[in-house]
Amino acid sequence: MQEFAHYFFNMPVMMLALPQLLQGLLVTVQMGVLVVVLGIGLGLLLAVVRSFRFAPVNVLIVIFVDVFRAIPALVVLMLIYFALPSVGVTLPPFASAVVTLALVLAAFAEEIIWAGITAVDKGQWEAARSTGLGPLQTLFYVVLFQAIRMVIPPLTNRAIAVTKNTAIASAVSVQEMLNVASSQQAIYANPTPLTLAALLYLALFVPFTILSRLLERRYRWGR
Amino acid sequence: MSMPHAVPATSGPLLTIENLSKRFGPLMVLDDVSLTVAEREVIAIIGPSGSGKSTLLRCVNRLEEPASGRVMLGDVEVTARGAKLNAIRRDIGLVFQNFNLYPHLKARDNVSLALRKVIGLSREAARLQAEAALTAVGLEMKFDAYPGELSGGQQQRVGIARAMALNPRLMMFDEPTSALDPELVAGVLGVIKDMKARGMTMLVVTHEMGFAREVADRVIFMDRGKIVEQGHPSRIFGQPESPRLREFLASVLGR
Repeated sequence: MQEFAHYFFNMPVMMLALPQLLQGLLVTVQMGVLVVVLGIGLGLLLAVVRSFRFAPVNVLIVIFVDVFRAIPALVVLMLIYFALPSVGVTLPPFASAVVTLALVLAAFAEEIIWAGITAVDKGQWEAARSTGLGPLQTLFYVVLFQAIRMVIPPLTNRAIAVTKNTAIASAVSVQEMLNVASSQQAIYANPTPLTLAALLYLALFVPFTILSRLLERRYRWGR
Repeated sequence: MSMPHAVPATSGPLLTIENLSKRFGPLMVLDDVSLTVAEREVIAIIGPSGSGKSTLLRCVNRLEEPASGRVMLGDVEVTARGAKLNAIRRDIGLVFQNFNLYPHLKARDNVSLALRKVIGLSREAARLQAEAALTAVGLEMKFDAYPGELSGGQQQRVGIARAMALNPRLMMFDEPTSALDPELVAGVLGVIKDMKARGMTMLVVTHEMGFAREVADRVIFMDRGKIVEQGHPSRIFGQPESPRLREFLASVLGR
């Protein structure tokens, strides 16, 4: 038991590692915010474009979605960071990781939001169109709000799942939290920094799960 | 408060339907239907389910595309290629069986949305007009209610206000009371009667035979995609000629 505490909850090591880890946490949060904003933004845009039902464009969207849902994020990151430079596109590690995760999240978000759009009752479209609203107006003022409300729980889950993956950025040496924790572990020859990182991840993501529950409750309306 | 119509007034019939046909796969839902509706005329459309009544309404504003035939609103051809549908639809109100209110918007905003985004009224002007329309259907206490907080009858009256606020030339009702509890039917039918008194031209698909008899200027009986018989309500209900109409009336009136 004492050994367990020594290796996983070593207070002196924790205090020493904390400042560095908080630096790493900051990088993780920056990446996370960018990934969520860019990923959900792009996913929403693609879902809106898809609702025009213009076949050639939709084929491209579906291919994009399926590709980025199928390839592991780490593989995408390797391709962007190590392969793209050979065709002249060089992204720094931080940007590579953000782009990777934003693309992956966009693929999932598009599929989730699209499912929401198609789940909105056809009568909503008909009612809006019958008053003279155009298709885009109907989408923005009537359908999209209802669609997004319906998909808040799966969208939040997916956003959390993808954002947690900021840890893969350590593979291209971004100084995010996991990377910092493992170097601290090496420095102190003690895995306590990893425990600390796990606790910080918890502190970072639990509020989001709670927020998603609140949102769900908030956007529920009668019957 | 009056707004100009998108479709200008004419001396001829308000609505002309010529040889309209529509099929869903092998099923002929509308089979060469023709009909003219005069200004201020109230027409009740009756018939068994699946007879094409709703599809007829939905082809008039092209929520469904007819396979062939023509629809004219005044002198404007609704079915023309490149017809300005969004403008024309302002002039053709449609009330749905399931209301189809926007659940995320208050009653007032359900009504004012098209006033703002289609007509282009300012937020304030649209609010006043929406409140006037809701007051006209007896919902002056419910401006801020969400659809989920309203009874079926109240929801349907919001649906009517939403269409009426655009000051349409023609109002169409697709079984407006079929989804309502019996005690709420009279209120909605009362609103439709008020609209007749104010001279609105209306097409009402209904299963309320008493209402059709009392309010309609003309009753149209449809079966299997065709208009089988039409005439003054007293004749349609008093001396039905075709066997199919007699059979239908016997089944709905239980005699």
